[in-house]
Amino acid sequence: MRLIGFSTGALAYSDFRRGLAIIHGREIHAVELSALRQHELRPLVEALDGMDLSQFSYISFHAPSEIRQEDEEAVVELLLWVTGRGWPIIVHPDAVHDFSRWRRLGDLLCIENTDKRKRIGRTVEELSSVFRELPDASFCFDIGHARQVDSTMTEAYFILKAFGGRLRQIHVSEVNTRSKHDPLSYGSILAFREVAHLIPEEIPVILETPVPEEEIDLEMQRAIEALPLCQEAMLAR
Amino acid sequence: MMVESLMEMPPSLLDVLAMRLGAEWGHINAARERAQAKKGELRPALTGFDSEDTSIVVFGSLARDEFTEGSDIDWTFLIDGSADPRHLDLAGKADAIVKKAAAKDRGREGTFGTMAFSHEIIHQIGGQDDTNRNTTRRILLLLESEAIGRPDAYRRVVTNVLKRYILEDRGFVQGSGGYHVPRFLLNDFARYWWTMAVDFAYKQRTRFGEGAAIRNIKLRMSRKMTYVSGLLTCFGCHLKIGDLTGGPDCPEEGAEAECIDCLRGRLKRTPLEILAETLLEFDHLEGTARRLLTAYDGFLGILSDSGKRGHLEKLAEEQYEKDEVFREARRLSHDFRDGLIELFFDERSGLSDLTKNYGVF
Repeated sequence: MRLIGFSTGALAYSDFRRGLAIIHGREIHAVELSALRQHELRPLVEALDGMDLSQFSYISFHAPSEIRQEDEEAVVELLLWVTGRGWPIIVHPDAVHDFSRWRRLGDLLCIENTDKRKRIGRTVEELSSVFRELPDASFCFDIGHARQVDSTMTEAYFILKAFGGRLRQIHVSEVNTRSKHDPLSYGSILAFREVAHLIPEEIPVILETPVPEEEIDLEMQRAIEALPLCQEAMLAR
Repeated sequence: MMVESLMEMPPSLLDVLAMRLGAEWGHINAARERAQAKKGELRPALTGFDSEDTSIVVFGSLARDEFTEGSDIDWTFLIDGSADPRHLDLAGKADAIVKKAAAKDRGREGTFGTMAFSHEIIHQIGGQDDTNRNTTRRILLLLESEAIGRPDAYRRVVTNVLKRYILEDRGFVQGSGGYHVPRFLLNDFARYWWTMAVDFAYKQRTRFGEGAAIRNIKLRMSRKMTYVSGLLTCFGCHLKIGDLTGGPDCPEEGAEAECIDCLRGRLKRTPLEILAETLLEFDHLEGTARRLLTAYDGFLGILSDSGKRGHLEKLAEEQYEKDEVFREARRLSHDFRDGLIELFFDERSGLSDLTKNYGVF
């Protein structure tokens, strides 16, 4: 059984408290605390001590997707403090200005492959250059981004083959042509199944799909369909 | 993986073969240089016409690197994305640029010089809606095409077409049977070859013999060469030729994407390069290699000679037997045919078994 949860940012835009409240008490045991905009970071970090996160067996933390260069050191310092909890820090490689600052996060730095608007982090080749700079970093595979970059799923396959050993978390959503997250369609479910066999069962899955509360269970069911476990995945292909 | 650049191009296997045989195929080399120069001329002229969802794709002699002074330029505006009324304008403007760069107008079937949509190419393999035009576009996309400029759409379409041939070929994917040949793909290559041969007769009739001599020679040489490269690609999976992984366990379960990528990489080569790769694999076929490539070089020599080419373009059918140029071209085509028979019925390489099992019955 895969561990499937949600990003707080997907459930409540820019409002981690609301996001957590929505999933509180549900059978959801994985969560990604999201501070996608830089101004959301400090309030989220400062609120961590007061949060009841006891329902979650897996927690990750999404760093801002854009960071002002002059603030990078301060951002990394805040994130270093978060790593004290043992949570992976999800980072878009294009948000990094100076790789040397981020190496301090060790393997809790979790680099995510990017969507097609970005100039780095989209492909095996581009990710290889990122991991050369960050040799200890782990990997968050965003399957929606990979499909948007190459709808044939060939790139997704080769990314998983190349960086499967670093894999720490999966991001799941449908990424539309405007690079926005959408709920999973049947087309994306079929596409994701093509590489599901390369994703081990123990890797947590975080949904980034913006769904209303009443569709949370349905979206989780769709994620299960999209990422069947190895044996089922082979049969589903 | 996204950016297709000249840096990715493998070294010329034809050059390696020529060096090994101590041969020089001047017309082949000249045609290749001319093709590369023409593509270099077209690239900047067509910049901005393509996008992530559209590619300008050239076919025929330009894509095969067999471009001569009298060659036309076959191309399509390949669309793999949302339909847009402006696509027609873009295709029209691009066509004007291509026409200026070509020595003459392309064929009159309307297969090229306009828009082509990925949906038909990918979904209509076989069945009532797989028209001659659609089959031609699809097979030539695999066997003799090249994106001039942004390759994103082109690459996706080629990958998706190959995906269909491989993933829907149960015997191939599951490794059943004694041979490891992608039969669905091979059958479509074969079907296209026979379609070209039948269409030759159709055109001869409907055009009242006009241009039949040059089409006859091309059918015997360059069209056949394209088919040969398709056969060798499919047989290469069994024989593990060149960089094809091949063998009965290929693709491993769950690794079909690698198989598709491998075939795509192989088909990116020109038909002559694919032939050279196979010939390099078997030392005992040096004589055959010399025979095939010398004949082909002679054929390109005739096409490069504007006098001879023009003569063949106008030659009437009743003059074939007495005509020196036609007889020279036909003699070269017989050499080429005999070389191919030697190659495809060669026992030591294993090609003979494959030819009997897949090329005959």
